[in-house]
Amino acid sequence: MNTGQPVLDPRYAPGFPIAALPVLRNPQLRKNVAHATDVIQSERARLIAEKSDWQELRSAASAIRNHVLENLGSYLEEFEARCTAAGGTVHWASDAAEARAIILDILCQEQASEVIKIKTMTSAEIQLNPALEAAGIHAYETDLAEIILQLGEEEPSHIVVPALHLNRSQVREIFARTMGLKDLTDDPKALTAAARNYFRQKFLTIPTAISGANFLVAETGSVAVVESEGNGRMCLTLPRILITLAGIEKVLPRFADLEVMLQLLARSATGERMSPYTSLWTGVTAGDGPQRFHVVLLDNGRSSILARPIERQTLKCIRCAACLNTCPVYRQTGGHAYGSVYPGPIGAILTPQLMKMEFAQSLPFASSLCGACYEVCPVKINIPQVLLELRSQVVNQERGQAAWLGDLMFLGMKAANSIFASARRFHAAQALCRIALHPFTRKDGWIHSLPSLGAKWTQTRDLRGLPSQSFRQWWAARAKEGR
Amino acid sequence: MSLPTASRQLILDCIRAVTQNPSAYAKVLRTYIRRGGLGIQEKLKLMIERLREYDADVVECAPKELPATIAGQLALSGRQVFVAPAGLPAEWLAAGFDWKIDRGLENSEIERAEGVVTAAFCGVADSGTIVLHHSSAEGRRILTLLPDWHLCILYASQVVETLPEYFDRCPLPPVLATYISGPSATADIEMTRIKGVHGPRFLNVILVRDED
Repeated sequence: MNTGQPVLDPRYAPGFPIAALPVLRNPQLRKNVAHATDVIQSERARLIAEKSDWQELRSAASAIRNHVLENLGSYLEEFEARCTAAGGTVHWASDAAEARAIILDILCQEQASEVIKIKTMTSAEIQLNPALEAAGIHAYETDLAEIILQLGEEEPSHIVVPALHLNRSQVREIFARTMGLKDLTDDPKALTAAARNYFRQKFLTIPTAISGANFLVAETGSVAVVESEGNGRMCLTLPRILITLAGIEKVLPRFADLEVMLQLLARSATGERMSPYTSLWTGVTAGDGPQRFHVVLLDNGRSSILARPIERQTLKCIRCAACLNTCPVYRQTGGHAYGSVYPGPIGAILTPQLMKMEFAQSLPFASSLCGACYEVCPVKINIPQVLLELRSQVVNQERGQAAWLGDLMFLGMKAANSIFASARRFHAAQALCRIALHPFTRKDGWIHSLPSLGAKWTQTRDLRGLPSQSFRQWWAARAKEGR
Repeated sequence: MSLPTASRQLILDCIRAVTQNPSAYAKVLRTYIRRGGLGIQEKLKLMIERLREYDADVVECAPKELPATIAGQLALSGRQVFVAPAGLPAEWLAAGFDWKIDRGLENSEIERAEGVVTAAFCGVADSGTIVLHHSSAEGRRILTLLPDWHLCILYASQVVETLPEYFDRCPLPPVLATYISGPSATADIEMTRIKGVHGPRFLNVILVRDED
């Protein structure tokens, strides 16, 4: 299937190196991504410099999240009991299909024909919107970036600022076309005002909302949502019915643990000390907000990630996307190449695991292993460590599948092993390569294109030509002359 | 009510099978800063600075000047119709304006108001955050959301320096809470910060110097 649109379903998306090619040839997109990630990164750096206890906060957050995962069952049960006591209804969904069915069932009972939505990556993960449309229920995304994507039929390319790949004139075009505003200018102020007017009545009239959750608090059964625009608060307070979809890993032990998480989240995510609005609510409150409240706890592969000691840390993630902004690979390709609603370094480890390692196997290789993601992670997920573990699993899978003798990669590795094991063979190989690579080496000293198997390398990167002399040869010659 | 389903048991069994070694909550090391080191004046200065950095408007006054300061701010806003939570002190309802007191106002009535005046639970200087716990003087959540202009009365004695200090001031976790850090904003288009997408476009704060 090729509609020109990026495919964000890991089951159908092309591998990362293939999917990245059109992006790398799109200078506008690369410029947009570079600009947005630069702005967030420099703001983040400025704010972190003023926090003298940043590393202590990271350590505490990491410890809290580890502790949650070690005790996940009891915290989920505690959350369920408290939320239920406060008037909420808790549902459990093993997979995406069950979560969709639960949500559709609630909406049918409420006879909803429209819903308003707060940005939730989890709902994108379970592909909720297409399922709602198929059932005749129109979902209105209300976050500005999500509005842009929905109206423009675009796909998200970032966890926190999902429309960062579009610039103002592209947004203007989408709004002018879909809202019927021919005189709209490309001033972000005018574009924002257009969205405000477009949605005001919808907020006031649509009685059903769907949200995600940044945190669930086990101690109180409360849910926390962090946002900037106020669309979240609208969805959380105006409708009569609220459905919150949350991954099972989102739980925190106590209310006071937010004192750590909230100091880290906005600074890491958007380069703000706090996001403009953080909302916390507990079940149903008479006279304030929705009077029917459902929480859908989603597993969808998470409990199987929990089972593996190295990969478990993936579930500590609080979705700040700092790893995306700092990643030299993401900054070149943007999000679409990852073929998942979770792009970037965290997506490269989360997506294949959510797919039970059956799809998205190219993603663990979409990294230079530079470690920048680990350094910025507010909950200290050692992403490179997980990437390496997943790589070895993918290689083992391939070994299991391929007939060894027919596998060129395997034969090549065997040959390399034997060459590197002996100085004599290594020197012979050097001499041979110097002759063989000479015709492909350009004047600038680089090899830009190789035939056959060598193309696997030069497709995505240049190769330094071999120098006319190795260091050992130079050293030996120098020693002779020196005498 | 919770719905006992096969999935609930399945998920919990799956989790339990792989988390055999529960750890103690108390073992989580917390070496981050709990209490800030600033004096009262510096702390308030920081609060004001951070609020202004997020485009909030801040004025200060002595406790006895508060009613007059509120009236002045309302007049300065050029607005006429305001909503107020039912528990707002009567002396804050300045004369000469149309007050809609929230005793179960319809959403459409709140939407038509031009502004809202509320108390607050706490202010956090480190991030310029105003904390609402939605008491009867802070109002239902919707009151501080639909009107375009929010005037919030914050006492100096309510201002803490660090976020953990706010949590120390909660003997019990709140049932509802909203943390407001500047007016509604977005940076979704080219990372250009725009005020007022869906929430109030203007946040005004009166800091009452009750600790001088």
